[in-house]
Amino acid sequence: MSSLNASLAIALSGLSADQGALEATTNNVANVNTPGYAREVPVLVTNAPDVIDGLTLGTGVSLQSIESIRDPILESQIQQETQTQGQAGALVSALSEAQVNFTSSTSDIGTAISNFFNSINQLSADPADLSTRQGVLTAAGNLATAFNVASNNLTTQHSSLNASVAQTVNQINQLTGQIAQLNAQITSVASGGQGAGTLVDQRTQLIDQLSSLVDVSVIPSDNTLTLTTANGTALVAGSESFALSTQPDSSGTQQIYAQGLNITSTIVSGQLGGLLQARDRQIPGLENQLDTLAAGLANAVNTVQTSGYDLNGNPTGSTSLNGNPQTQVYLFNPPPASVTGAASGLSVAITDPGLIAASSDGTAGSNGNAEALYALNGQGIIAGQSPTSYYSGIVSNVGNATANASAEQSASAATLQQLNDQRAAVSGVSLDEEAANLTKFQQAYAASAEVISTINDMMQAVIAMKSS
Amino acid sequence: MRVNPNPLPDLLAALGNNQQLINTDTQELASGLRINVPSDNPAGAAELVQNAAQTSTDDQFLRSIGSIQAELQTSDSALNSVTTLLQRAITLGTEGSSSTVNASDRLALAAEAQGIQSQLVGLANLSYQGKYVFAGTATEAPPYALSAASPSGVTYAGNSGVNSVTVGEGFSVQTNLPGSELFSNPSNDVFQAVEDLITNLQSGDVAGISVAVGEVTSASSYIDAQRVFYGNTLNQLGAQQTFLNSATTQLAQQENTIGGADLPAVITNLESAQVSRQATLEALAQTQQTNLFNYIK
Repeated sequence: MSSLNASLAIALSGLSADQGALEATTNNVANVNTPGYAREVPVLVTNAPDVIDGLTLGTGVSLQSIESIRDPILESQIQQETQTQGQAGALVSALSEAQVNFTSSTSDIGTAISNFFNSINQLSADPADLSTRQGVLTAAGNLATAFNVASNNLTTQHSSLNASVAQTVNQINQLTGQIAQLNAQITSVASGGQGAGTLVDQRTQLIDQLSSLVDVSVIPSDNTLTLTTANGTALVAGSESFALSTQPDSSGTQQIYAQGLNITSTIVSGQLGGLLQARDRQIPGLENQLDTLAAGLANAVNTVQTSGYDLNGNPTGSTSLNGNPQTQVYLFNPPPASVTGAASGLSVAITDPGLIAASSDGTAGSNGNAEALYALNGQGIIAGQSPTSYYSGIVSNVGNATANASAEQSASAATLQQLNDQRAAVSGVSLDEEAANLTKFQQAYAASAEVISTINDMMQAVIAMKSS
Repeated sequence: MRVNPNPLPDLLAALGNNQQLINTDTQELASGLRINVPSDNPAGAAELVQNAAQTSTDDQFLRSIGSIQAELQTSDSALNSVTTLLQRAITLGTEGSSSTVNASDRLALAAEAQGIQSQLVGLANLSYQGKYVFAGTATEAPPYALSAASPSGVTYAGNSGVNSVTVGEGFSVQTNLPGSELFSNPSNDVFQAVEDLITNLQSGDVAGISVAVGEVTSASSYIDAQRVFYGNTLNQLGAQQTFLNSATTQLAQQENTIGGADLPAVITNLESAQVSRQATLEALAQTQQTNLFNYIK
């Protein structure tokens, strides 16, 4: 047996369901510009029907839940691409800064090498001339300065990258702390049987941020999730977060520790991965190449310099002069045997231009040794290459590394943009859609209200029947 | 399929890309260079380093050639004067060997020959920019001095050293002839010949004078023959100069091909980037001005 009361209840369920649905729409409209917000959709379900005397009667509608629409696979793709983006971005900015040292100018190392050998060619044409000799010392000084400047710039960059590593680790710790907190909130809200949509939105947003910093893997479980780095080091497990720490090693290089374990070498992606790659591989690689060039050049020049005679006819390679012991007369102060620090420490050893060994026979006018010095220009004195060839190799290396990183960055930016597009297509709020929904729910609400009013009229009719 | 309801980030990214293109083109236009940092074209940047080094080396070779040429020309013209003086000495000797001149005339001729001898010493002590060019590599002091004690009438303080200077890839030229080879060559000793002439003129030995005239004649043609060295070297340097000049031009062209901005292309790119930026801006202005809310009342 159906009753008017039952109909009234059905109409009421319509009213409250539409009201709830309207709330979802309103929330969507309000959050149209909120970053990371996923649109909400009301989930309306038919109430279980009553079967009375063989008749199946509907019992109205209820708003089961308000669901946030998102695609977990897309989310994880975005997180991964964000890691690549962060890594390439950090690398590009480090290498772009480094390659300025190798950009051709009036004082770059390549020009300084040419000028140095040119001054020796000039000396060869006029070996006894003091101003020409002074020209060689000046050019040697400029060469040393060019090496010093480039090497010091790289060192400065190295230490600022080192500081960035520590800062990035701090940021990671803050984010993992916040994510652990959100995990706890989401679990408690969800266990109360409520949707935790907006909290999940916030957490997704934070995981995106974290992905740009370090390589994270997300392992979701009911309402909560576990975050680890690529090699499995736990960052967040449910409501607990595990902070990373940094500690300088003996050379002052910040090492990253997780629960007492050094994990520096396992971090390859995200901004932190990019910073580590620049700090531990690219910049030291360039420093090492500069040192090799500086040391090779200085040693080769010194060897020839100590096989001749100075302007006064004294042998520059001799270890005694007039019976008194003396040191050999070098042109450049000898670089360290380990090569490390050769570029930053390169300096000219003599101030008296007369001490340059241009002569090969002790007479002032002889240029035999100057010619031998000049010949170094074309000899494979640095790892089998001439100084200029070796230097051009460095230029090409740093250029390639920068160009590759920046190509990777653009490619990953394009992919990321497309993924974000797809995410917006799934989760973004469309005002058109919300306007249509608003109208839809408004009309349904109005219709349910009309039904109630009609039932009311019918009730009145029934009541009037009795009283008449 | 649901479409992305908010294309704004895409449009902003497109604007960013456009701006990047415009910046790159503007930088190329401003510098006139296609390679401003190594990453613009790593292989090209490395080539440019080599190219710049080669250009600078060639420029230096040209400068060295210039200074060597000046020195060689000065030396050569001094040798020209030497042969002129030797010709005069031959004339004096021929006159002195004649039976028509008397002893006092011969003494006068001998006096003139002594003058020639000291002029020759002056020429052999030629200094160019402070260096004595006929002293071998002992260029700091005048190599010749008159000396009555020496059989040849002079002493040589120079050495037999020669210098070679590199003026091209694997190409060097000898830049001096030492006095020991030029003037004091044992088989053609200029000073010995002149000294013999003077001695014989003074002693009035007619036969001796004739022999001495022969020696001076032979010395004079020897000097002439040595001047071929200067002529040859100057020719080689001239040819090398021509080569280096054309090499430098070629290097400059190459540099422009590798690293120079292709101006028409850059300007076209810049214009199209600007048009595209304009279009994106228009699109931005058009989007999302209205939505369904504007129509539902």
